[in-house]
Amino acid sequence: MTGAILTPGQLRAERWRLRAAGLRSFVRRFASHPAGVVGVVIIIVFGVMAIAPSVLVGPFETPTRPSGLPFAPPSATHVLGADEQGRDVLNLVVHGARISLLVGLLASAITVLLGATVGIVAGFFGGRTDAILMRITDFFLILPTFVLALVLAPIIVDVFGVGTEFFGMRITLIAIILVIGVTSWASTARIIRSQALSVKERAFVDRARVIGAGSGRIMFNHILPNVMSLIVANTVLVIASSILTETTLSFVGLGDPQSPTWGTTLHYAQVTGAPGSGAWWYTAAPGVAIVLVVLAFTLIGNALDDTLNPKLSARK
Amino acid sequence: MGNSYLARKVVQAFLTLLFVLSVNFLLFRAMPGSAERILLRNPHISPEQLQTQRERWGLDKPVFPDQLIDYFVATTQLDLGYSFQFRGQHVTDVIAAKIWPTVLLIGVGEVIAILLGLALGAYTGWRRGGPIDYGGTSLALILYSMPSFWLGMILLIVFSTSLGLFPGHGMVTPGLTTTDPLARLADLLGHLILPGITYSIGYIGQYSLVMRSSIIEVLAEDYVQTARAKGMTEGRILRSHALPNALLPTVTLIAINLGYIWAGAITVEEVFSWPGLGTLTVDALGSRDYPVLQGIFLILSVSVIVANLVADVVYSRLDPRVRT
Repeated sequence: MTGAILTPGQLRAERWRLRAAGLRSFVRRFASHPAGVVGVVIIIVFGVMAIAPSVLVGPFETPTRPSGLPFAPPSATHVLGADEQGRDVLNLVVHGARISLLVGLLASAITVLLGATVGIVAGFFGGRTDAILMRITDFFLILPTFVLALVLAPIIVDVFGVGTEFFGMRITLIAIILVIGVTSWASTARIIRSQALSVKERAFVDRARVIGAGSGRIMFNHILPNVMSLIVANTVLVIASSILTETTLSFVGLGDPQSPTWGTTLHYAQVTGAPGSGAWWYTAAPGVAIVLVVLAFTLIGNALDDTLNPKLSARK
Repeated sequence: MGNSYLARKVVQAFLTLLFVLSVNFLLFRAMPGSAERILLRNPHISPEQLQTQRERWGLDKPVFPDQLIDYFVATTQLDLGYSFQFRGQHVTDVIAAKIWPTVLLIGVGEVIAILLGLALGAYTGWRRGGPIDYGGTSLALILYSMPSFWLGMILLIVFSTSLGLFPGHGMVTPGLTTTDPLARLADLLGHLILPGITYSIGYIGQYSLVMRSSIIEVLAEDYVQTARAKGMTEGRILRSHALPNALLPTVTLIAINLGYIWAGAITVEEVFSWPGLGTLTVDALGSRDYPVLQGIFLILSVSVIVANLVADVVYSRLDPRVRT
């Protein structure tokens, strides 16, 4: 753009050209992180499991029609052995992908929405609003929020009644999603706030205010796009920790037996004494799936952080 | 000197405590088993009896501020109500009976995790880019991605079920009759090994990653450059300049982290049937024993708040810069 006046059509074309160039350079820079690429590959594999589990391992085996013998060790027909009811463990793990990933993603969405809102509002308004919001954030950072989640989840389930469903999801799962979201937004809020503090000092915010933009408009149209890269990288890391928290909540018995996540499967492995009876296949398989997915999201998150926020992570 | 800093920290700790109490109070009102609902659910209760009970529990007073104040007063007198699961027992007694096994497990586990984690982190940060850094950082990332209870289940299968090296259940061998204190101690330590290792491995990864980035940051400082220019050996730079300065932020992070360790502690206890607060939590969850669950949340919160306050005080003694 050399100062020539562009027609609206040319301007639009120019904007798209810049966007495409930006995307290409982003992909190139992301691809220079081998660990991040490995993470993407792992997530694609588990994504396929989540989308079409029945194509891979057949329909979900319910306790009433198991295909093997209880605690059957790995064999040609049951590569990963069977659980205490004779269900194929590979079948359980592949079918667990959808619900594990879904719960992790939804919980992260709530976490990031809450955290980003608190962070942007606190950073933008400053003063008393900031002080109060950050004090609340500190409460959630310091306190044992996992224990709070443990107390909250059954209360939510009991208040609505065990059989309730919303949007086709059972209340047990919704309770888990809600308690993870409500208890883990604090670190996101801290990160976004510090960036919002510096963005609001930039000249375009003053300009927007001079031409009469309201606070809400400035936060949404000017602050949000400028903290977006931080939000994106943070979201991917939050997904990793949400999946871990879900696993732990389900392991202590808060999961839904009818839509088992990997954590729920490990819960049943524990209560039926699989570790003590040497049924390593029942315990190992869901755990390996968890480690791979959490590791993959962490690797992608770190690579995104390097790619999108190079200045902030220069010292790593 | 530094008195206003300390005063501010004490006020903050107090506010956090008030927040915890308020959350607990609200949960107590919201939960399905609250006194009010239990009374109303009983069809055989006469209106007069109901009224007497309401007066006794203070339920006829307004929720705010009277009931809230009553709750605060009762809590400061360590009256946390009664357990649903263990009929008639005070929540305080139920919890008190389970505290020491947990303190033992977490104490031993934390000390090992901090020592090994800091050592590994300091070394990998100092030798950044070397094979041990690469291996150590990868291992730390994998450990960070691993639910600690799952690691515990695997260790239990390998070392207890298959190899039979260590007991994997409880704190004492059932039917142990010996009165020899040394034999009893050996038995306890044997039981402590697997849960202790599981607990600490989970946090070695985290602590070493924090220490590593802290060391890397410090090594880029001007005073390290100056020390190098003066001809100081690398080992001495690490010991007398880098380590002391890198330790400070790490210690704070470990203190903040105390709120997070409970997820690991609770589940590791459950895996090894360790008779502490974690197993109590899972049992209370199974029987929806809300008073006990809330009591556990309260006691853990208080311990975390106190630990943070202590960390702040220690930090301000070690690093005068924060006392502003």
